[in-house]
Amino acid sequence: MPEPIIPEERDALAAELALGLLEGEERALAMRLRLSDPDFAATVDAWGKRFEPLCAGFEEQPSPALWPAIEHRLGGPGERDSHRALRRWRIGAIASGALAASLAAVLVLRPAPAPVEIVRAPDRTVIAQLGSGDAPGLLAASYDPAGGVLRIRAVRLPDSKLAPELWVIPADGVPRSLGLVAADGVTRVVVDAPHRALLSDGATLAITFEPHDGAPHKAPSSAPIAAGKISTI
Amino acid sequence: MVDTPASANRERLVANLARVAKGDQAALRAVYDTTAAKLFGVCLRISGDREAAEDILQKVYLKVWDRAGRFDAERASPITWLCAIARNTAIDWRRANGSTAHLPESAAAIVEDDSPLAPEVIDAATQRARIFDCLDALDERPRHAIRAAFFDGLTYSQLAEAMAVPLGTLKSWVRRGLIQLKGCLDDA
Repeated sequence: MPEPIIPEERDALAAELALGLLEGEERALAMRLRLSDPDFAATVDAWGKRFEPLCAGFEEQPSPALWPAIEHRLGGPGERDSHRALRRWRIGAIASGALAASLAAVLVLRPAPAPVEIVRAPDRTVIAQLGSGDAPGLLAASYDPAGGVLRIRAVRLPDSKLAPELWVIPADGVPRSLGLVAADGVTRVVVDAPHRALLSDGATLAITFEPHDGAPHKAPSSAPIAAGKISTI
Repeated sequence: MVDTPASANRERLVANLARVAKGDQAALRAVYDTTAAKLFGVCLRISGDREAAEDILQKVYLKVWDRAGRFDAERASPITWLCAIARNTAIDWRRANGSTAHLPESAAAIVEDDSPLAPEVIDAATQRARIFDCLDALDERPRHAIRAAFFDGLTYSQLAEAMAVPLGTLKSWVRRGLIQLKGCLDDA
C-alpha cells in the first residue's frame, strides 16, 4: 500500500484505523504512521472522538450485584469461575429480592479459595471443585466420560431439611438437573445421554437445596450453596 | 458550546483513573459508578446478551484496574479510552463465541433503537443526535458497513464476506461514507 498522500485518503485511513477496519500489513502500516506522524495520530484520535457518542447512546444499568462481584475479583486471583457461576445464577434463576440479597452477601463474604482438593483421576476425566474454603458448601466431583458416571463427594454441606441437588450449567447459562445427591459421602450419578455432552470444559457444576419431591427439578428454586467450573484433565 | 459539566466530569474521571493506577479501589468504584451504565450499554449492544454483557463488564473493569497506568489524558478522552476497552472486550467475547454470521443485522437494528438519553449531559445528547443523523444521511450500504465495524468489530475482509461484496467495492463504499460522515459532523 503506497503512503497515503491525498489529505482525504489520510483522513479515511485514520478513520479506518480508529474503527478497527484494517488488518495485517495495512494495519501495521497505519500503526507505524500513527507512531511516526503526530498529525496523523491526532487525526486518528479525532476520529475516535467522533465515534465516541456511539458509545454513549445506549446506557443501561447493569445488575447491582455486579460491583460486589468485581470488588471480589480485585481481592485476589482464583475462584473466578465459581464466582461467575454464582452471579449468573442470581441473574438467571433468582427473582426474589431477599434471595438476591443473601447471595450478594455470599458474593461479598466469599473468601479466598482454600487449597484445592486434588482428585486424582485417569486421563480425560473431568473434575470440578464446588465451593471453597469457608463457603457454606464444599464438594469435589469427578466424571468418567467412558462410563458416563459422575462421582461427587460432599466434603461439607450445611444442615438442611432439603436435599442437595446437582446442576450442570453449560455455556447457555441454563441449569440442568443431574438429580439429588447425598449430603455426605460419595454419590455415584449416572448421567443420562443428553446431559453427557454438557459436562465439558468450562461448564459449571452447582449445588442447591431443593425439596425431595419432584426431583430432578426443571429449575433451581434457590441460590447455589456451592459452584465450580469443570476442567478436563 | 457550553461544556462545563462535561469537562468537570471528564476531569474527575481523569483524576480517578490516576488514583486507580496507584491501586486505589475506591477510585475504581467511583469510575464504575459514573461509567458502568454507558459501558454496559456498549457490552450489551455488541454481545446481544444481558448475562454475557455482565460477564464482559466485569472483565472490562478488571482491565481498567490493570491498565489505568497506561491511560494518557493528553492523548485520549477517558470515555473514549474506556469505551475502547469495553468495545474490544465485547468484540473478543463475540469472536470467541462465534456469532459473527448474523452481525450485520444486529448492527442494522441499532439506529432504529431509540433508547432513552442519559439526562446528565445535554451536550452528549446533542452529539449523539448529530452522529446518528449523519449516519442516517449515508447510503444504506456504507451506513451498514460502518455500523457493523463499530458495533461488531468487523474488519474490511469480514465485512466483505458478511455483505457478500468484493473487498475493493466495500472499501470504496466505506471510504466514501467516512468522508461524507466527517463532512456532515463538521458542518453541523
